[in-house]
Amino acid sequence: MTNSIKIRSQRRDGYTEVKLLITHPMENGRNRDANGELIPAHFIERLLVKLNDQLILTTNMAGSLSKNPFFTFRLKAGNSGDRLSAEWTDNRQNQDHAEHVLD
Amino acid sequence: MPSRRLFLKHSGILLTAALLTGKFANVLAERLATHFAADDFITLYTQLIDKRTVTSSNQLNLILPEIAEDGAVVPVSITSELEGIEKLYLFADKNPTPLLAEFELTPLIAPQLTARIKLAESCNVILLAEHNGALLRTSRWVNVMRGGCGTG
Repeated sequence: MTNSIKIRSQRRDGYTEVKLLITHPMENGRNRDANGELIPAHFIERLLVKLNDQLILTTNMAGSLSKNPFFTFRLKAGNSGDRLSAEWTDNRQNQDHAEHVLD
Repeated sequence: MPSRRLFLKHSGILLTAALLTGKFANVLAERLATHFAADDFITLYTQLIDKRTVTSSNQLNLILPEIAEDGAVVPVSITSELEGIEKLYLFADKNPTPLLAEFELTPLIAPQLTARIKLAESCNVILLAEHNGALLRTSRWVNVMRGGCGTG
């Protein structure tokens, strides 16, 4: 499986801005396909962000976030070489994770 | 037979750990299922604040477009200068699943977040923040041009 998570970071004065893009359908189970059939629910439930293996941000969600979820957040610190990782789990117990090293 | 004893002891520990992890996972799954249930907003909101006092706050900023062309992708931005926000809850009061997201922050994260949400129809978007044991609230009205069935 190709990686579904893209992480970008930008060091600014005193903080680090992080962008996170995940490829995921985020179907809430109420949409219908072209034939009028219900598309089964398929959404990410939990996203964990870690800095050097320490949990720094937990996001719980359901099908009310847009397809291909995009988040930005601000790290107060962040040093060159710090490892930032993200991992998600969806309602079908699929998982993916990615790691990014700060510039 | 020390190795046998050790084996039994260790398998006991492993079994307990496995049971505890399983139990924890179940508790979490149950909590998420309750929070993110398809229910009306007032029911979920009342349940979540659980009789705690909610104060309207101008120290929380919720930035959304006044008019959202497409309810399937609405950018939202949450900012605050407050230190020590532990949790953020984002709701849309007209969505079939009113709770959009819960953010659990840690001291390493500044409350400056953005995301993209779905809005089923024109509605109030409500932000609740847990801060030093208090609940702070702010909200914004959003006019949704194309929302309707299935986006929320």
